[in-house]
Amino acid sequence: MNQFGKITPDGTKDRLFDECEKRGAFIRALGDLFRARGFREVSTPVLEYYDVFETAKGYFPQQSIYKLIDHTGRILVLRPDCTIPIARLIGSRLKNHTDPLRIFYNQKIYRYADGNSGVSGEISQMGVEYIGANLAICDVEIMELAARSLNAVCGDDFQLELCHIGYFNALVDSLNAPAEIGEQIRDLVEHKNFPALDSLLEQFEGCPAQKALKKLPALFGSVAVLNEARALFSNEASDKALDYLASIYNTLSSLGLAEHLTIDLGLVNQADYYTGIIFRGYTAGAGEPVLSGGRYDGLTREFGEDRPATGFAVNLDLLCEKAATKQQNKAASAAVLVDEKSDIKKVFELLGKLNAEGYTAQIIPVEDAVCAGNKTGFDRIFAVVGETEREVL
Amino acid sequence: MQRKIRMALTKGRIEKAIIPMLEKAGYGCEGLKDKGRKLIIPTDGGEFEVVFAKAADVITYVETGACDIGIVGKDTIMENGSSFYEMADLGIGRCRMVLAAPKDANFFDGYAARTVASKYPKIAADYFARKQMDVKVLKIEGSVELGPVLGITDAIVDLVETGKTLAENGLEVVETVCEVSTRLIVNIASLKLHKSSIEEIVDRLNAAREDK
Repeated sequence: MNQFGKITPDGTKDRLFDECEKRGAFIRALGDLFRARGFREVSTPVLEYYDVFETAKGYFPQQSIYKLIDHTGRILVLRPDCTIPIARLIGSRLKNHTDPLRIFYNQKIYRYADGNSGVSGEISQMGVEYIGANLAICDVEIMELAARSLNAVCGDDFQLELCHIGYFNALVDSLNAPAEIGEQIRDLVEHKNFPALDSLLEQFEGCPAQKALKKLPALFGSVAVLNEARALFSNEASDKALDYLASIYNTLSSLGLAEHLTIDLGLVNQADYYTGIIFRGYTAGAGEPVLSGGRYDGLTREFGEDRPATGFAVNLDLLCEKAATKQQNKAASAAVLVDEKSDIKKVFELLGKLNAEGYTAQIIPVEDAVCAGNKTGFDRIFAVVGETEREVL
Repeated sequence: MQRKIRMALTKGRIEKAIIPMLEKAGYGCEGLKDKGRKLIIPTDGGEFEVVFAKAADVITYVETGACDIGIVGKDTIMENGSSFYEMADLGIGRCRMVLAAPKDANFFDGYAARTVASKYPKIAADYFARKQMDVKVLKIEGSVELGPVLGITDAIVDLVETGKTLAENGLEVVETVCEVSTRLIVNIASLKLHKSSIEEIVDRLNAAREDK
């Protein structure tokens, strides 16, 4: 009968008290950081037309998107991403806003989740988009902000990993291979699948890029891999990407982030989405990246406005569940015991006074305020008996 | 204190084949050989801990980051997904995933919709999707050969090593779906956070491959 009446759908969950408070503290910390650098918040609907994501269909396979039909038969989706709706805004309401735009959001995204995989279908993301500027300092600004965001939540325990898609693209372009082969190579590099990559690349024996592609999944770690990469393959496009990555790396290091930076030239997920720098953030305890971002100059073109753009998103759920957190200072609590005869004005005066002193204060209705003094779990306990207040504990 | 690197190891056949390889790579395995009922056991030298698990669970433990490394068959990887790094083919546990049908049955002829039994419904469905064939896949947990023998399916998609079981049940290989062997997989965040320890294990196991 009412079989699902008391449970939540696959991939979703309720969050109670402590979890919400911890999350709230993270949201405030990140929001303060973003605002301090001039980012302003937007909110877009959970429901969007399927067409919005159809333009970017390569990025989101249709089977991963929750779909609904509205009352006139149009297809709606639960947004699987926050950046594409913002690109939609750039192509519509923000079309005439030609100055660089700094935007942040705190929203949930939805992706179809298999109920038994433990994968979440509802993910809280907080992120920034910086649209309309493409100087190197803009990439640095976004990555520095990413590092500060992780620092605010995880303390010193985080790593930021950098890539530039230009190196991979230069390698694949030089093979002159069909697009499907390029995509197969990308997938194998992304999964660091050395054996399958080796056998797929056999057909390109003799191509200068072959050796570099075979080694690409291993080209991660310290900044030294950039030299290794250049020794393996060098042409105008690949050198440009490596030079740019090196300069960004050095700039970020000079800002005091050296110990948090690594390079992974095999970070080629969504290679058709990102057009320059790609980066990801990790922290111990979380089995997947807690932050991801990069430059995506081609996206707003799909909405009719060709604007360079960069940004990142933080997965708040992963951070809340896995990241080691700083001890939150909980406010001291007070209880105000009242019964039917308590003077209501007096009670509210007392609540106001306790709040002003920094206590969280709550009214506890009891049978008889005179003799009810055994409440626990509060730092201070008051009783209002008739018109007089007194401290019980 | 940082916890030890943890390896999830598929129990059974893969476990038997990997232990000599671990020993050849210089990891002491006396504790692993005499594991009794324990589920987590360190190597004798304490280089890493080994967690014994069923094949599909190895994937779960590595994807969630509970284990950093997994030793698991390619069949399980294809059936269960891939948000991890698949860094080495260990060259053991080699066999084939095949489509097999009763002798002389000519599976691809005619227009009738077909039914196939398999322990690997996703692999079977993907295979027929690639062939643009409309085939019903029936998941069977035990001896899949019973499907055609009992007359409920036209063929099976299953692993074969020698083909003996197929022959004894009047079946023959129609086509190879893919080659299967044991793979070493690594959690994405673990590789980045413990690069040198994990790369050392991968390198030593790669060097210990029998066919090298």
